[in-house]
Amino acid sequence: MILDAHGHLGPWPDFLIPDQSADGMVALMDRLGIDAIGISHLLAVGPCAEEGNRLALAAAERHPGRFGVWQVYNPHQRNRLVTDGVWGVKIHPDVHQCALDDRRYDPVWELGLPVLAHGQTDSPWSDPGRFVTVARRHPGVPLLLGHAGLWPYGFARAAELVGEHPNVFLEICGSKMTGRWIARLAGLVGADRVVYGSDACFLDLRVGFGRVALAPLGDADRALIQGGNLARILHDPLHTGGGIPGGPVP
Amino acid sequence: MPYPVVDAHRLVGPVPFDDLPEDPRPDMRRLGIDRAYVTHSPSLYSDARAGNEALFRLDDPRLVPVPVLLPDPFEPAPHWDVPMVRLCPARHRFELTGPTTLRWLAELGVTVAVDFDETSPGQLLALARELPGQRILLLNPGYRRLRAIGELMAAIPNLWVEIGTVNTQRGVEWLAGHFGAGRLVFGTGAPVMDDCGPRFLLDHLDLPEADIALIASGGGLL
Repeated sequence: MILDAHGHLGPWPDFLIPDQSADGMVALMDRLGIDAIGISHLLAVGPCAEEGNRLALAAAERHPGRFGVWQVYNPHQRNRLVTDGVWGVKIHPDVHQCALDDRRYDPVWELGLPVLAHGQTDSPWSDPGRFVTVARRHPGVPLLLGHAGLWPYGFARAAELVGEHPNVFLEICGSKMTGRWIARLAGLVGADRVVYGSDACFLDLRVGFGRVALAPLGDADRALIQGGNLARILHDPLHTGGGIPGGPVP
Repeated sequence: MPYPVVDAHRLVGPVPFDDLPEDPRPDMRRLGIDRAYVTHSPSLYSDARAGNEALFRLDDPRLVPVPVLLPDPFEPAPHWDVPMVRLCPARHRFELTGPTTLRWLAELGVTVAVDFDETSPGQLLALARELPGQRILLLNPGYRRLRAIGELMAAIPNLWVEIGTVNTQRGVEWLAGHFGAGRLVFGTGAPVMDDCGPRFLLDHLDLPEADIALIASGGGLL
């Protein structure tokens, strides 16, 4: 099973994304053999969590089993969270300018679902060190460290920091990641702690997937990274993304 | 493999900030890259002249030398039998459109590669105005400045773009749709940048096979 942990739909303000659509994403997934991708809508990451989450759930409903939804939590908007029909919660401390270990995120951890968070080395909001703080507080919450630290100079440090916290996983999307570094991370922290994500449509799905597909990895490690680990984290990933709590969206 | 693959942007040698493969050939073999246009890393991170001399000693037809041109107002242009040179105006602190650079480029008459982060749209437009016949390969264009790149490609007919970092959903197809596959060049920037993702993308572009083959072999440039 191939599962992409980190995806998006919709526009982002500071650059052109030629294909932001759910249909375009599914077409590429079909071509590459990707079973499902976890998405948050970029509107939700940006200015409107509630409406963006609604759009993500609507896309999941239109494409049953293909999209898992990471519902975005904005600590300033304190939007509602649900427990059914989603993969978990996405938080973006840098965009929301609220540090990952700020108590305003407590409603996220208390939900108990997996959490995907942007993780950027040296950021005052999302440095991997803050993931350690959260992991100590909430050892039962599966936590995906998005971008594995983001900058190449931070990859090894991210692996070192989370090594002793088995609920933290390194998610590997990002424009600075390389196939070489994916193999290194698997060696540093174990292939069972590395999770494939693409950041599509923000980034191109084919580049993110291909980086793992062609990385210098053995078949068993590649299978874990491409979906085995996330399937274990999510339990039933193909049957948690299509429902819309509270009924259908018009 | 249905088409030969040429990487227009690769490094050989060590870099100061990471432990990366110094010889690109094993990765090229693994990824099905037949030939690469290479710059010797000390030319970027140490001494351009010494790096270029080491580059010319490689003598392997799979590795096409792209020496770094460091303009010197008191010297004549070098006599290099190469298809492309690279300029690093930001790293080496000179003007892309300074008088020595323009004189040397005019004398050399070969393609010039420059990293987008090393210059600016205004500088590239000025270069194209001063030397209208100059072929320019824009390295590392990234994905956040597609609009600016589009404007440049429209304004500078002799500008080609390396696609290795054009990494937003269907960004390469967007460029190909506006400017044609012949203006796009496969390249990676490896080993500092990733070669796995761009190599995979090349084989999975939503473009006619002939266009993919054209990009793989260097667009209409190499």
